[in-house]
Amino acid sequence: MITLLIVDDSPIARQILKKCLPKESAFSIIEAADGQEALEKYRQYRPEITFMDMTMPVMDGFQAIAEIKQIDPQAIIIAATADVQQKARQRIIELGALMQLAKPVSPKAVRNALAKAEQALREQL
Amino acid sequence: MADIQFSGVEKDILQELMNIGFGQAAADLAQVIDLSIELSVPDIQLFKACELRKHIGTEADSDQEFSLVEQYFLGKFKGIALLVFPATSGKKLVSLFGLQDQSNKPTQHLELLEKEVMMEVGNILIGACVGKITELLNDVVIYSPPRVMIQDVRNSALPRNLFDPSSMAISMKTVFHFEQQEISGQLLLIANQESITWLKSALNAFMEQYQ
Repeated sequence: MITLLIVDDSPIARQILKKCLPKESAFSIIEAADGQEALEKYRQYRPEITFMDMTMPVMDGFQAIAEIKQIDPQAIIIAATADVQQKARQRIIELGALMQLAKPVSPKAVRNALAKAEQALREQL
Repeated sequence: MADIQFSGVEKDILQELMNIGFGQAAADLAQVIDLSIELSVPDIQLFKACELRKHIGTEADSDQEFSLVEQYFLGKFKGIALLVFPATSGKKLVSLFGLQDQSNKPTQHLELLEKEVMMEVGNILIGACVGKITELLNDVVIYSPPRVMIQDVRNSALPRNLFDPSSMAISMKTVFHFEQQEISGQLLLIANQESITWLKSALNAFMEQYQ
């Protein structure tokens, strides 16, 4: 079973993302409400895939991605963000995220992102 | 008139939609000025419409002089959008649009230029943000032409036919900052009580697809 870490300060955004996960697959889901909590959960659970919001209180997604990449350079992170500015997109990729999804996420976008993440996981083996 | 309450979940949904709406607005503006805009977590507040002027004055930081772009939106979602900047931001905004070399022009011309730039920024941010929120909630709105006021937020004309003083109003606020330029501002969307009733049912309908 794949462990997913879903990081978003909005419980609604986390709920939307969970509902968009493919029904036929089983996931173990861990949640965090800000970047700081994401770091703690990442250290504790070592999820295979992390979905990361960017605009959050306490610690934003940019810093959280950078710090998770310090802990685990191979971490697979998918940004799920309302910040669709070109420069933000560029920065997210430079920080080492696999890809990004624009909010509100759709089942199709989440499925495609997971396929890409699973491919990246296989390549790490 | 009875007070309307928003549940925690309804506030969360609205906050997320504001986040998405302003994210789209920032992307649209960033394309025009080639500059990144930092976003904050939106804040949602319900209050009595008779406290609206006071609320706007507080939000606009009464210690500072400020400039304001106001634009009405009319649909099932109905209210006023206010874009608030410190008054000193006008010249900086002009330079962001590549119009900085205007020092030989008369003051009157520069003031007009500042107003036009602020109106354009307001048009882009308000239109994209309100447009995205209403699109997600299956509504369509029309807009009044934007109006710029300098240093005069508390005298903003808030028509009584839109905001009955005995009713409730809802404010959605996002604070933003232009990267590498000392310019911060706030976007406030304030909807009237009639809209709040519609909004509650539209927010619940939006979430039904994710239940």
